[in-house]
Amino acid sequence: MIRAFKLEWLKLRHYKVFWILLGMYILALLIICSFGVFFLEWLKSKGADFDGLDPTIIPIYDFPDIWQNTTYLGSFLKMLLAFIVIISVNNDVTYHTLRQNVIDGISKREYVLSKISLIFFLALVSTTTLFVAGLVNGSIYSDVWGRSYIFDELEFLGAYFFDIFVFCCLAFLLALLIRKAGFVIVLLFLYSIMFEPILTVILEHAPYFENGIWPRLTPFFPIHALNDLIPIPFGRYIFQEITDYVPLKAILISSGWLLIYLAGVYGLLTRRDLK
Amino acid sequence: MTKVLSIQNLTKRFGKLVAVNQLNLTVETGQVYGILGPNGSGKTTTLGLILHVIAPTAGIFEWFGGNEAAVDARKKIGSILETPSFYPYLTAVQNLRVVAHIKKCGTGNIDSILKQVSLFDRKDDKFRNYSLGMKQRLSIAAALLSDPPVLILDEPTNGLDPEGIAEVRSLIKDIANQGKTIIIASHLLDEVQKVCTDFCVLKNGNKLHEGPVQDILGETNKVELSCNNLDQLDRKLDEFKGIKAKYQQNGSLFAELESNFSATDVNAFCHEKGITLHKLIPQTRSLEQEFLKILKEND
Repeated sequence: MIRAFKLEWLKLRHYKVFWILLGMYILALLIICSFGVFFLEWLKSKGADFDGLDPTIIPIYDFPDIWQNTTYLGSFLKMLLAFIVIISVNNDVTYHTLRQNVIDGISKREYVLSKISLIFFLALVSTTTLFVAGLVNGSIYSDVWGRSYIFDELEFLGAYFFDIFVFCCLAFLLALLIRKAGFVIVLLFLYSIMFEPILTVILEHAPYFENGIWPRLTPFFPIHALNDLIPIPFGRYIFQEITDYVPLKAILISSGWLLIYLAGVYGLLTRRDLK
Repeated sequence: MTKVLSIQNLTKRFGKLVAVNQLNLTVETGQVYGILGPNGSGKTTTLGLILHVIAPTAGIFEWFGGNEAAVDARKKIGSILETPSFYPYLTAVQNLRVVAHIKKCGTGNIDSILKQVSLFDRKDDKFRNYSLGMKQRLSIAAALLSDPPVLILDEPTNGLDPEGIAEVRSLIKDIANQGKTIIIASHLLDEVQKVCTDFCVLKNGNKLHEGPVQDILGETNKVELSCNNLDQLDRKLDEFKGIKAKYQQNGSLFAELESNFSATDVNAFCHEKGITLHKLIPQTRSLEQEFLKILKEND
């Protein structure tokens, strides 16, 4: 695995585009993790109140709720990491360096491992950044403090890592399948934020589908399953009951998709001629 | 001699097109093996197949007697296939580090290899800023980096200037002299004739001929003659009993001799008759003629 990562590292270490994208991603992640306070302040300045409550006292940065809140928000940015994966795979395809790597003496399995190690690295960087940002924000704003609070519900960080990992593997598969990077990026972007969400909403709520089998199938859709890993946490601030754990069902379904993506990647590489 | 590569009944179809058809080949240690053929005859596909980047439809092949895993065998082969493939945003040195990592050969000789292909002065320039010739030379550097016992070259002089072509040829000869095995695909017959020991001819994926280059070359029974008075020579030669046929062309006289006569006899005859020749060239066969003949026979 270290050898596989070193290969990827040699390819990316001097690649400016990679560092700029990663830098922008981390910046965006820090902003999205920390903007809550400013957002609540802004709500207050606009005169918003929740049944007479001052918005700024909403404890979004309290441990351990902070983990579900920030991982939920941070998860939206995984698209940027997927772009990095797409660009890295697409480079190997368009520059014919994937073929050259194989000719020079790596197996296709080693190639898959090198990209998975990149995905692992990206997910790790992101999760660590989020964790550190959470500790800092929590130490400033949390009303409670103590090991039992801080390290409670860290499962959401695990779910966050897994979410990124699976999503980037989908990006890997698409980048191999479709050789045009721009097209893959637009497709993945639109599919994840528009096509599938709209389709699932229609299947769940349109009168025509509502009573059939369809609403029970939507949790099996790839993006839907990933989104289910970290349930929307903000309902608790308006006294709704929320799912405050990582649902096993979502983990299982996403794991199933992960296996499909990896099998697809491996199948494509072994069966298709490299030109 | 030990076998470096043996191919048995290798076949590749792209849909209806048969790119390589039931190919059988054996390359032995120390051979410089040329794969000849017109454009589209299946040369590059064959090389792609034996390097595991194209999946065969049928047939098998073995590197080094089949004693090594395919990936390990590839690490011992330096390859230059068609266009140089490197990361344009990396420098020559950085690109070679990727190759060294894959080949597990260490980065110690990167500088000396770059000197060998005259790229040392530009080693920290990005690949995308290189000219075609420099890119080609970088792929030669990459192929030589691990000091492999086998080299595969696909059209190695493509895109090089005459000086570059001469350099690559002398490089190939140097490497061959070190006892290494070289497989070259080319449609430049002159090139193959100059460097190869053995060759095969492919056409439409079929092997038409295989054998040592030596067997095909060698002298013919034809000599080219020239002197100050060509017509006089032409008439006098009628008296020479070893002559089979003759004709004049481009200021020379070409004479075909009976099998037991040679250029020496012609020279002695002319001397005796008081004719001073200023040109007497025994005609050798060229690979080009033989190649065209083979293609024609199989048309």
